[in-house]
Amino acid sequence: MASNQSNGGDELLKAYFQKLERPSTWSGLPTKPVYSPADVSGLDYGRDLNDPGEFPYARGVHADMYRGRLWTRREVCGFGSARDTNQRLRFQIAQGVSGLSVINDNNGSLTIDADHPMAVAEGGVQGVSVSSLRDMEDLFAEIPIDKVSVAFDISGLDCIAWMAMYAAMAENRGVDLAALRGTVQNDTLHFQFCGYGNSCPVDLGLKSSVDIIEFCTRRMPRWYTGNANLYDMRENGLTAPQEVAFGLSLAIAYIQKALERGLDVDEVAPRRAFYCSCHIDLFEEVAKLRAARRMWARLMRDRFGAKDPRSLQFRFGVHTAGVSLYPQQPLNNAIRVAYEALAAVLAGAQSIHCCSYDEPIGLPTETSQTLALRTQQILAYETGAARVADPLGGSWYVESLTNQIEEKALQIMDEIEQRGGMVGAIESGWILNEIESAALRRQTEIETGEKVVVGANAFRTERETSTPGGIHEAPAGQGEALAAAVRELRRSRDNRRVAEALRDLHAQALSGERVNLVPSLIEAARSYATVGEMMGTVRIAYGQPYDPMGVLAAPRL
Amino acid sequence: MARQPKILLAKVGLDGHDRGVKVVAQWLRNAGMEVVYLGIHQASEAIVETAIQEDVDVVGLSSLAGGHLVYAQQVLTLLSERGAKHIPVVLGGTLPFEDIPRLEALGIRAIFPAGTPAAEFQEKIRELAAGREGRL
Repeated sequence: MASNQSNGGDELLKAYFQKLERPSTWSGLPTKPVYSPADVSGLDYGRDLNDPGEFPYARGVHADMYRGRLWTRREVCGFGSARDTNQRLRFQIAQGVSGLSVINDNNGSLTIDADHPMAVAEGGVQGVSVSSLRDMEDLFAEIPIDKVSVAFDISGLDCIAWMAMYAAMAENRGVDLAALRGTVQNDTLHFQFCGYGNSCPVDLGLKSSVDIIEFCTRRMPRWYTGNANLYDMRENGLTAPQEVAFGLSLAIAYIQKALERGLDVDEVAPRRAFYCSCHIDLFEEVAKLRAARRMWARLMRDRFGAKDPRSLQFRFGVHTAGVSLYPQQPLNNAIRVAYEALAAVLAGAQSIHCCSYDEPIGLPTETSQTLALRTQQILAYETGAARVADPLGGSWYVESLTNQIEEKALQIMDEIEQRGGMVGAIESGWILNEIESAALRRQTEIETGEKVVVGANAFRTERETSTPGGIHEAPAGQGEALAAAVRELRRSRDNRRVAEALRDLHAQALSGERVNLVPSLIEAARSYATVGEMMGTVRIAYGQPYDPMGVLAAPRL
Repeated sequence: MARQPKILLAKVGLDGHDRGVKVVAQWLRNAGMEVVYLGIHQASEAIVETAIQEDVDVVGLSSLAGGHLVYAQQVLTLLSERGAKHIPVVLGGTLPFEDIPRLEALGIRAIFPAGTPAAEFQEKIRELAAGREGRL
């Protein structure tokens, strides 16, 4: 930036008289300089807002909100081997998280094992490497799974394999499945536009999603059977109304499928949740989440005839917006994350993950991840933000913005319905097209300076050469070691038992979509069949290639 | 007027984050360049093969999942083995600043972390393409 000495202080004068240049929200919704009762004159308190814990839940799903229970403080975790991640999880527990959240590597997302020819360079790089029950056991070693709430931050065919391995581990430990508390993201549809679609075809993905929903409904009543992943979509550049509309439409798709399976809406809906973004525009994010709550309640009541109040409640976890963070001047990100997490609390989130400031640089270090957790703890214990339910409710501005977002989101949902619902809109390519247009629009706004990003397109400094707090580095040979461990497992396990379990799984998978595969997968997992073997077996039964990467041939069953 | 640069863009390995590279592809096309985008889940061999077949001026790799060092090495080695060392390779995405000198030492000609202004990478790509043309 020019210094004031070289230009006679003109820059200083310009800075002094600088005014707000962008009156519209991040999503482009227009705003006025000030709001008054006239802006919300049509609002009826009982009908449109009501008290927290009362239909339509615009102000929160619980009457006492955080006085009843604070949000779950989690930090997404996964790197290297299951043992590496286990150590970090236990470190997190020692630092005061109130729940865990685990993410797997690219191999895991694609359901290929760590010894797959294309897997070695990816093993444990973007998340934890889990190829079999053995890894699952290492991942949760010395962690009381009957006491801790665990979120599986995974979405593809890996979900059903992880549920089976987790259940097998619990049973081996003598833990009643009904005691397990947690969430599996289980949003297989969203893989179609988040870069892993080839591993998880729409039909098979939906079948596996519904298998999880059905199994958990019967056997794991404390488990959340799926989050519609609004976050990943928003990360691509969608607006707040699009995030809500796409997310609710995704959730509808799963509920419809579960109803077709024969489940009742009031069995399914109470164990659904949503995984939302909190982006950088504070009031817009709060309004977005309040709008989503109201919309979901009305939708579930009016369209699906849900009666159980829990079916009508939009429960959500928040992932602060990774895409709002920049590698330039990385410590700025800690400030962004704090505001985004504040929005989540003001909006009444049930669970929060704060990004680490090094999110746009690499995986978090112990230092950066602890700061992210401390950000949550400062919010929870020091700021008073959690004291009162829906503290922004009744603000003429926030209520008006909530109405605007709802109105736009409802229009988008209508359009999706006309395109055959979320499945139709995905299959026709419409959703991907919307996402790609949004990504281009958003990047262009930043490129042209229409949106200011401090340190990236304004107030720039020399390019950094190092990251404060250091970086996460994978040890040399990590992928090879992970591959070797899987090869060793294949040698040492009872392969006759594995083959038998996989044959049974294959037979079950061939016997119709309504046959739930979780029980056979639990048996296969218990025999130490790998994720690649289990899901490959299911895939071939469904007419898909055994190996989603097209490299490995199917073994003889 | 000089010929417009032709660039091959690809995501190497199993990283699925492809929104950024698609935006970059669009911007380079808007700037008049010829862009071949290979898509996600590309093996290094396929990238090098296409770069040679298509006779591109520059190869651009996108990496957001931590595989940048391994895959950069693979692509550069394969280019060298195939006698195509003269094709400059650039890389963009999510990576630690600490890895920039390492990538440069491997032979990556320019590195664009997320947030790099379009003008900056367009200029660099033109410069690299022009340098290549000069040598031929």
